[in-house]
Amino acid sequence: MADRNIVIEVENLHKEFSVDESGKGFWGSIKALFHRRKRIVHAVDGVDFKIERGEFVGYVGENGAGKSTTIKMLTGILVPTSGVARVNGIVPYEERQKNAMNIGVVFGQRTQLWWDLPVRESFEMLRVIFRVPLDEFTATMKRLNQALDLEPLLTMPVRKLSLGQRMRCDIAASLLHRPDVLFLDEPTIGLDVIAKENIRTFLAEINREHGTTIILTTHDMNDIEQLCGRLIILDQGKTVFDGETAALKSKFGSDKLIEVEFHDVAGIGDRLEKIDGVTLIRKEGHKLWLRYANGSDGIGGLIGDMAKEYQLKDLSIKEPSVESIIRTIYQKRVALPKHENGED
Amino acid sequence: MISPTLFFKFASVTFQKQITYRFDYFMGILNGFLYVFIFTSVWRALFSQSDNAVQSGFTLNGMITYAVMAMVIRISFTQDDAVIYRKVQDGSVSIDLIRPVSFFFMNLAEAAGYSLFHFFARSVPILIISFFLFEIEIPLEPARLFAFALSALFGYLILFLVNFAVGLLAFWFVEIFPFMLFKYGLLTLFGGGIVPVDFFPEVLKVVINLLPFQQILYVPTVILTGHAPLSTLPGLLSTQFVWVVFMTMLSKTMWGAGRNKLVVQGG
Repeated sequence: MADRNIVIEVENLHKEFSVDESGKGFWGSIKALFHRRKRIVHAVDGVDFKIERGEFVGYVGENGAGKSTTIKMLTGILVPTSGVARVNGIVPYEERQKNAMNIGVVFGQRTQLWWDLPVRESFEMLRVIFRVPLDEFTATMKRLNQALDLEPLLTMPVRKLSLGQRMRCDIAASLLHRPDVLFLDEPTIGLDVIAKENIRTFLAEINREHGTTIILTTHDMNDIEQLCGRLIILDQGKTVFDGETAALKSKFGSDKLIEVEFHDVAGIGDRLEKIDGVTLIRKEGHKLWLRYANGSDGIGGLIGDMAKEYQLKDLSIKEPSVESIIRTIYQKRVALPKHENGED
Repeated sequence: MISPTLFFKFASVTFQKQITYRFDYFMGILNGFLYVFIFTSVWRALFSQSDNAVQSGFTLNGMITYAVMAMVIRISFTQDDAVIYRKVQDGSVSIDLIRPVSFFFMNLAEAAGYSLFHFFARSVPILIISFFLFEIEIPLEPARLFAFALSALFGYLILFLVNFAVGLLAFWFVEIFPFMLFKYGLLTLFGGGIVPVDFFPEVLKVVINLLPFQQILYVPTVILTGHAPLSTLPGLLSTQFVWVVFMTMLSKTMWGAGRNKLVVQGG
């Protein structure tokens, strides 16, 4: 009874690696000739999730948390130690080629284009590999050229492209065959702010207009905030959060950050700290940074009181970023309710 | 998934890449020719030591023809045997695996492009020069030439399959230099590139017959040079074919098992 709306499903997925822990140093190396000590690393340690068509999911975690390993199992590169994964009903590591036809993959740290060939020829190679009919290919390339500004790059060999240019070409390459699932493994890593913005805009567009299901692993929380409606957080191979990004913020991001500048600050810091829920984080000249822990309750009153008694020069109220929330989660290793969207 | 166009495309990528290494090209011809010169001189010296005009079934001229043709074929069969090792080492095997193409097919096509370049750039010049400098006698029997073409194809495939199987060991061990070295040693010793199998003592011949290496160079060369009588040709080709099938099954099994063991850098 397969729910056709579920594009990716992962059940109790495990991937173990054995790591060589044999002796280091000279005598250690000699000993290693006779006896190797191995340690088992549980890179992915019982991960479950279901992703529906059209979702844009952020898949985050510290380095070594198991993000890329999961992606590699979903794209057929690695075989799980146990558990099941399915993409569009296909088991990627069992029907690797069939799965590959339906997915697009971008590895931020490695290009899938041919290093010495002009970009245009790489695209042509991929057209043949993915058996895209010429007219469909021409139409798709036209739209991609426009959206990603590829025209000036087409005749350049990939090795001559800057990182940002190469990333745009890799994204285009992953979409040539119009897959309905896209895996992006740190696609914005190393890019400048403008390049990141352009790519984000493009990704949001294809998700919105074509319903492309997108899984994005990233360390850049702006990617998450701007693109991902759903967030899965991985820690040491296990999911610690799986739900709407907005829910994460409302549940755990109740703190507010107040930046306030006064005309005269004598003694203000001490007085403000006496107010319930207020912590002074930083002070620089006439500017104070305060953390207000009671959320929206009473913040109006607090601001009003400050304005009444002191001369406010400037004021801004900020919400905590997804990054700071995640950092808090990691630091506290808070036991979170795993599913925020009502699913079980 | 598999198509002649795709094969050609993958082959042309590696073919074009070789062209950029122009210094290698000239050194490659010089190098190959140097080997030919050394071997023919050694054989001449060896034959002159004995009163026997025929040694282990070869006349001097037959031996010179063998040495030259074995070299030409060996150069035409040049493959990059470290390619899978490097792909696993630097993680670029991931890219191969996300393509909806058989890993075997892609690597075979890439090897074909690589070898084709060596054929045109090195073998052909060496062959031409050698025809002028040495007494080379090739029987121009149509059946023989056809058998040679088939035998060369089988020999090439067997070499590729041996390299592929050894390369797959990288899925288990990552550092497979000792395996590659061992394979290279066996290939040099038993392949027939330097010494035809006929010269080996009977005891070693038993071992050689249990290994695929003589099927790679020795068999195609003796077919081409006429050393193998016409009547033996069907038998030789059949044996090669059996080895192709066996090595293919071995590679397929290793591939299936190796996939579970593969570890890729990153993330």
